Amino acid sequence: MNVGVAHSEVNPNTRVMNSRGMWLTYGLGVGMLHVVLLSIPFFSVPVAWTLTNVIHNLGMYVFLHAVKGTPFETPDQGKARLLTHWEQLDYGVQFTSSRKFFTISPIILYFLASFYTKYDPTHFILNTTSLLTVLIPKMPQLHGVRIFGINKY
Amino acid sequence: VQEKEELIEEWQPEPLVPPVPKDHPALNYNIVSGPPTHIITVNGKECINFASFNFLGLLDNEKVKSAAQASLKKYGVGTCGPRGFYGTFDVHLELEERLAKFMRTEEAIIYSYGFATIASAIPAYSKRGDIVFVDEAACFAIQKGLQASRSSIKLFKHNDMADLERLLKEQETEDQKNPRKARVTRRFIVVEGLYMNTGDVCPLPELIKLKYKYKVRIFLEESLSFGVLGEHGRGITEHFGINIDDIDLISANMENSLASIGGFCCGRSFIIDHQRLSGQGYCFSASLPPLLAAAAIEALNIMEDNPDIFQTLRAKSERIHKALQGISGLKVVGEAFSPALHLQLEGSCGSRDSDVKLLKRVVDYCMNSGIALTQACYLEKEEKCLPPPSIRVVITVEQTEQELDKAASLLKEAAQSVLN
Repeated sequence: MNVGVAHSEVNPNTRVMNSRGMWLTYGLGVGMLHVVLLSIPFFSVPVAWTLTNVIHNLGMYVFLHAVKGTPFETPDQGKARLLTHWEQLDYGVQFTSSRKFFTISPIILYFLASFYTKYDPTHFILNTTSLLTVLIPKMPQLHGVRIFGINKY
Repeated sequence: VQEKEELIEEWQPEPLVPPVPKDHPALNYNIVSGPPTHIITVNGKECINFASFNFLGLLDNEKVKSAAQASLKKYGVGTCGPRGFYGTFDVHLELEERLAKFMRTEEAIIYSYGFATIASAIPAYSKRGDIVFVDEAACFAIQKGLQASRSSIKLFKHNDMADLERLLKEQETEDQKNPRKARVTRRFIVVEGLYMNTGDVCPLPELIKLKYKYKVRIFLEESLSFGVLGEHGRGITEHFGINIDDIDLISANMENSLASIGGFCCGRSFIIDHQRLSGQGYCFSASLPPLLAAAAIEALNIMEDNPDIFQTLRAKSERIHKALQGISGLKVVGEAFSPALHLQLEGSCGSRDSDVKLLKRVVDYCMNSGIALTQACYLEKEEKCLPPPSIRVVITVEQTEQELDKAASLLKEAAQSVLN
């Protein structure tokens, strides 16, 4: 389905990331975030890159791995009520192109951030932990897993 | 590959329709010619109708029929569309307003098929992971609505408030173990006002107490009690004198007392408005034909103008309830004031099939002498708690006292001759 058109998708959350223009919008959004951070005069270039990485990963964690269910009502009697958006993507099928794209994009951002911070130790720790918070929930072994019952209901 | 070919050739498909004996009840049905009013013509023989749920006799009422015919001339027959797609006519809105005003609730919503009313209302609110406490004697429409809702169903024994309280207490202890899950779980109780399968009423005052004690929502299904119980026919809430705001949703079908087709739900606007987008039978079925809506409005007018018919109906029901006591071999199941009661065999003779055949002989005896009765039919494999086979006797306002006495004496004779 493409966003904004009439569709017969039971849960639009599953297909929205495959829609036309979604990846481009996402890339441009990250780029805009970085440009805004760069234009703040207090931040040096390494700080701006680390901040981009951390804010992007924070946003990705909240929207893809923390918030559950759908903001609209679905005709499937609430099958996805307890699933995060990542778990809902493509009805749980792993390694689809959207999932691969969103797994690789924080890694690319990480590489860029590591390069531009000149591999400084503090920045390295910040960027790596932030990358791990966003990569570990994407693993297929952790599909539907709630550690210590956090965020279960 | 050779073996695969052999297997394919050997395979015999199962027949689409399993072999059915010639005397299966579904293959030998009675044919009614003419309207099923007070006098019904079954298989060419005229009988007094003790089988149709025409409680207020509005099926053949001249005013209702002329209102329907006037509407037919104005609108045509069907609406050719669901409510959201040019299928909403002014008669629908008028009927919804009238029903809301009659039941003294904020809003009402009309469905075009009585079965679909409660079967769409329950899944609109109750989803996977929610809990519904439902009576064992709930009618088939409720059971299908619960099945469609995919929620966890907890059955409690019919009208047994102690059993319901036990289930609610168990749920409460589980909730205390897992409060985060409890916060996202919705709980409902689904009961009927006047049960179709057993003819008795639910103890609504105790249910309201349980509702406020354990924080559960009540869905009341008033198909048989609307237009029957209560001083003005408003149903079981008026019968028990309960504030209508205590019930979260009242659902009823208009096919019994109102002699129309379809059903309605009424309650607070906040609750009923939700069904306008998520009631599947509302959004995805064609709306009620305007002639039936006009007939229902006229029937409501008649109900409002003559509030004494409910008292008459109750008197007649009590009369026949008393007259039918003491028939050897048959026991009366149902409240004294219920216009639809069941006659069950006192002692079953082995299998359900033989019971059904025996009751059919009683019904045939009565039919030959001019009283039309029917057995309560169930989809035996699909019901959750199959009620025992019974004859259903329905009292309407149009039956005279002589006819009631004649029916009672005929049933006594039939029971004597068939069961002894």
